[in-house]
Amino acid sequence: MGLTVAAPLALLASFLLVLPVLAHLSRQVPRDRVPFGAMLLLERVVRRLRRRRRVKDRALLALRLLALLAFLLAAAGLRWTWNGATPTFGGTGEVVLVIDRSMSMGLVDSGSTLLQRARADATEVIRSLPSGTRTHVVAFDDAASVLSPPGLADPDVAATLVATIEQTGGASDLQAALVAARRQLEGRPGEVIVFTDEAGPRLVADAEGEIARLVASGSALMPRPLHADPPRNLAVTDAEYGDGVEGGQVRLRVTNFGPAAVEARCAVTLPDGQKISVFVDVPPEGEAEERITVPREAAGGVGEARCEDPDLPGDDARYFHLPRVGASRVLLVDGDPGDTPIRSEVYFLERALAPWGGARGGVRPEVVSTLGAQAIDPERHRVVFLANVADPRPYGPRLTDFVRRGGALVLAMGDNLTPERYNAAFSSILPAQFRRARALAAAGEEGVPLAPPMDPVHGLLEPFSRGGRASLARVRTRKVMTLDPYDEGGDVSTILSFEGGVPALIERRVGKGRVMVWTATMDLGWTNLPLQTSFVPMIQRIVTWLGAETGDQASRVDGVVGAPVRVALPDLALDLQVVGPNGDVVRSRVEDGALWFTPPAPGAYQVQPDSAPTAVWVAVNTPAQESDVRRYGSLAAAEAAVAPHLFERHVELGPWLLLVCVGLLVAQAVLAVRSAQTVAAEHEA
Amino acid sequence: MTTLPWNATVLQRVRHLHLRARTLTDGLMLGDHASRRIGAAVEFADYQEYRPGADLRSLDWRAWGRTDKLVVKRYVTETELPCTVVLDLSGDLSTGEAARARYPDLDGSKAGYAITLTATLLYFLQRHGEPVGLEIVAGAGMPYASLPPRRGNNHLQRAFVALAAARPAGRAELAAALARVGGRTRRRSWIAVVTDGMEEPERWLPSLAAFARRRSDLSLVHLRDPREWRLTGLASARYYSPEGGDDIAVEPEGAAQAIAEVAAEYLAEVEGGVVRWGGRYVPAPTDRPMEEVLRALVLGSASRAPERDRV
Repeated sequence: MGLTVAAPLALLASFLLVLPVLAHLSRQVPRDRVPFGAMLLLERVVRRLRRRRRVKDRALLALRLLALLAFLLAAAGLRWTWNGATPTFGGTGEVVLVIDRSMSMGLVDSGSTLLQRARADATEVIRSLPSGTRTHVVAFDDAASVLSPPGLADPDVAATLVATIEQTGGASDLQAALVAARRQLEGRPGEVIVFTDEAGPRLVADAEGEIARLVASGSALMPRPLHADPPRNLAVTDAEYGDGVEGGQVRLRVTNFGPAAVEARCAVTLPDGQKISVFVDVPPEGEAEERITVPREAAGGVGEARCEDPDLPGDDARYFHLPRVGASRVLLVDGDPGDTPIRSEVYFLERALAPWGGARGGVRPEVVSTLGAQAIDPERHRVVFLANVADPRPYGPRLTDFVRRGGALVLAMGDNLTPERYNAAFSSILPAQFRRARALAAAGEEGVPLAPPMDPVHGLLEPFSRGGRASLARVRTRKVMTLDPYDEGGDVSTILSFEGGVPALIERRVGKGRVMVWTATMDLGWTNLPLQTSFVPMIQRIVTWLGAETGDQASRVDGVVGAPVRVALPDLALDLQVVGPNGDVVRSRVEDGALWFTPPAPGAYQVQPDSAPTAVWVAVNTPAQESDVRRYGSLAAAEAAVAPHLFERHVELGPWLLLVCVGLLVAQAVLAVRSAQTVAAEHEA
Repeated sequence: MTTLPWNATVLQRVRHLHLRARTLTDGLMLGDHASRRIGAAVEFADYQEYRPGADLRSLDWRAWGRTDKLVVKRYVTETELPCTVVLDLSGDLSTGEAARARYPDLDGSKAGYAITLTATLLYFLQRHGEPVGLEIVAGAGMPYASLPPRRGNNHLQRAFVALAAARPAGRAELAAALARVGGRTRRRSWIAVVTDGMEEPERWLPSLAAFARRRSDLSLVHLRDPREWRLTGLASARYYSPEGGDDIAVEPEGAAQAIAEVAAEYLAEVEGGVVRWGGRYVPAPTDRPMEEVLRALVLGSASRAPERDRV
């Protein structure tokens, strides 16, 4: 907003402003001298009149100066300019309607979505166009789609095309839409009318370059913003499962993009259909985090976290991966029920797995004797401890199969144990053949400590990554089971060893399963490990490490609506199909050794071999930036920055100034005449 | 030795003054009024019981004969009252009508009005048996500028000669002049100051304190020409004071309202000052009959408030 002058040279005549001043200053002094007997009064009168006249004279002078100034400014063509909200452009005969159909356009305001309003507005624009105007229709979300055929001039067809635009769950790529619009114009000037909510932090900023190119090509962007007043939306912006010893929690983050606080009713639905509800208080324009505990047993797959929100339903749900919870069920086979607790491995293992008797979480192991070891169920048990079992041969094949199918076997030594029987029972899965029990220290001596870990960042040692290693060093062992030499690397790895190089904890991968050997006892028979602070976290970590996951990480993939999802598959010879949230098969393709598909909606997608269990879970969510329905920029402002002349409006002030000039002249004349009349009247009196 | 201006004009003016003074005084004496202080000889007031030491000449023997009681007669006035008229004949009084004459016209001019008023006042007081004095401030041509209060026709004649020969001239310097006259007047005198007061009142009004200190009965006769004060009939010109000072260019039609306001303020200022110093304020516009002014002056019968509004 401001004032501009069309003819600046006319201002050179401003020297005329001096004339009234000179006229004011030039006063004739009377020549006649007359004696006067009341000069005292005259002196006082002069002082008083000077004060009065100063005011009157200044008012007259100001009126005359203003009148002359108004005249000069009128002659100079003074105009009042300001910037309008939309550019002044039109009459090109070519119009491109660009309509945002991204998820954020589903925001409900006054009973209708923004997209519905956009369609109505666009239809109205089409009806108002002059006959013969070529109309292009471009819809965009993640990508721009040209809906109209070339050279379309039929408003009915254009209106029908607009009516067919449906909302998607994708993001907004306005830049791509403007590129498509510019290509439709093919270098000709045209009006690009954009119907969008301008929501999201990057929407306008990313399109600034393309706006500049559009304006440079002689066209103009005509923004038709659609806003909810005020913009509001509640969205689940994050949901993630965090594992624990057994089971775990789903961390839920709910973000409120509106100006008012919201108490949202949320629910987490697990893959097996279990539903856990919770209320979340979300501050205005803030977020809240909630943790929901998952039951001890839950099927793996993709879960859904949903919060009710009437404004923008598209982003109310967030999908997350959930491993099979409860698969770490532990079976303890007690080979030596001792006569005192300190001579019982199970006593220490039970307390390590469930420190408070299971009251505060942890693993409640199933304890059986050697006779009950036949009850091993691969569907129920994930980790089996054989603690000082004398002869495992009766159930050796069953345990071997259990391990090969993904189970985990932990072998703890003891005086009952016979190496030959173990070698016979588990010959194909042991990290190394057992040799014999050997004393590392004489009776009464303290024993040999554990050496520092060779691989400090090993996943099993994660609980000791900071201050826990000192407790490992306090473990003293007097007797161990020695092993035949074995090759490090490959499937076998030594996680811990005693000083002197005797292996302490060895792991072997067998297919999807693992076998772990602790070469000492789990009670106080050969070692003081159960008395150390490192015992509880070590045992718990072993359980988690061996049984927390049911499959590979690669079998879980995250995706975004509208964006291609790549699934790397080890064996592409299988006939795979992608099943969407509704059970429909989603079109996919194999390319570059991976399976590709584009999810059209959020939800849980499964990549399945024909008639086989799910190989890959894909959790597809809406683009996070679409949930933020607040405005961070204005298309009009962005366009005004590169083409301010399109927004300029002005009013010629010349005629008004002339009127003001006349008015001022009349006012000064009235003032002068009234002043003279007053003087005359006083004189008459 | 003072040289008397024995020329025909002065003698003519002395005679004229006599006639005017006698005429006006006769007019005043015809009224049924009584003087507040200026009594004609000794007047009976009341009786008082005789006490030892009282003047035996005051004993009323007739009353003793009738009532067998000794009583003493008491009288209103028992002493003479020295009266002095202070006349301001500064140059400003030479303006107005007939201002260019050698001697101011005794009828119609501001100075003539002042002189006639003064002469009448002296004549009236002398007729009442009071000793009269004359103090002429500024002015020129008079043989006597200061005549202390005395009785007798010769003394009055000298005062008339001085008045007849005086012409307005110079600056009055009222502050100094009043202080000087006040310093040499006797206690409990009767003082009349005839002046136009055309000096800043705040400078000369405090000089009236000299009269107040001597418990004099002070009256200030404020002389003014209303036509001057209303700028009536005046043209746009540079006006100047005969007493000196800078010229002032004035457009009378534009200054009429202002001068009315200024004059009202000025009159209030002077009147307030005179009253504050214990005097009586007697306005004397030259268009007002002199009898009224004299009556107001010697009898205190004229109201002053309307006069202030008649500027």
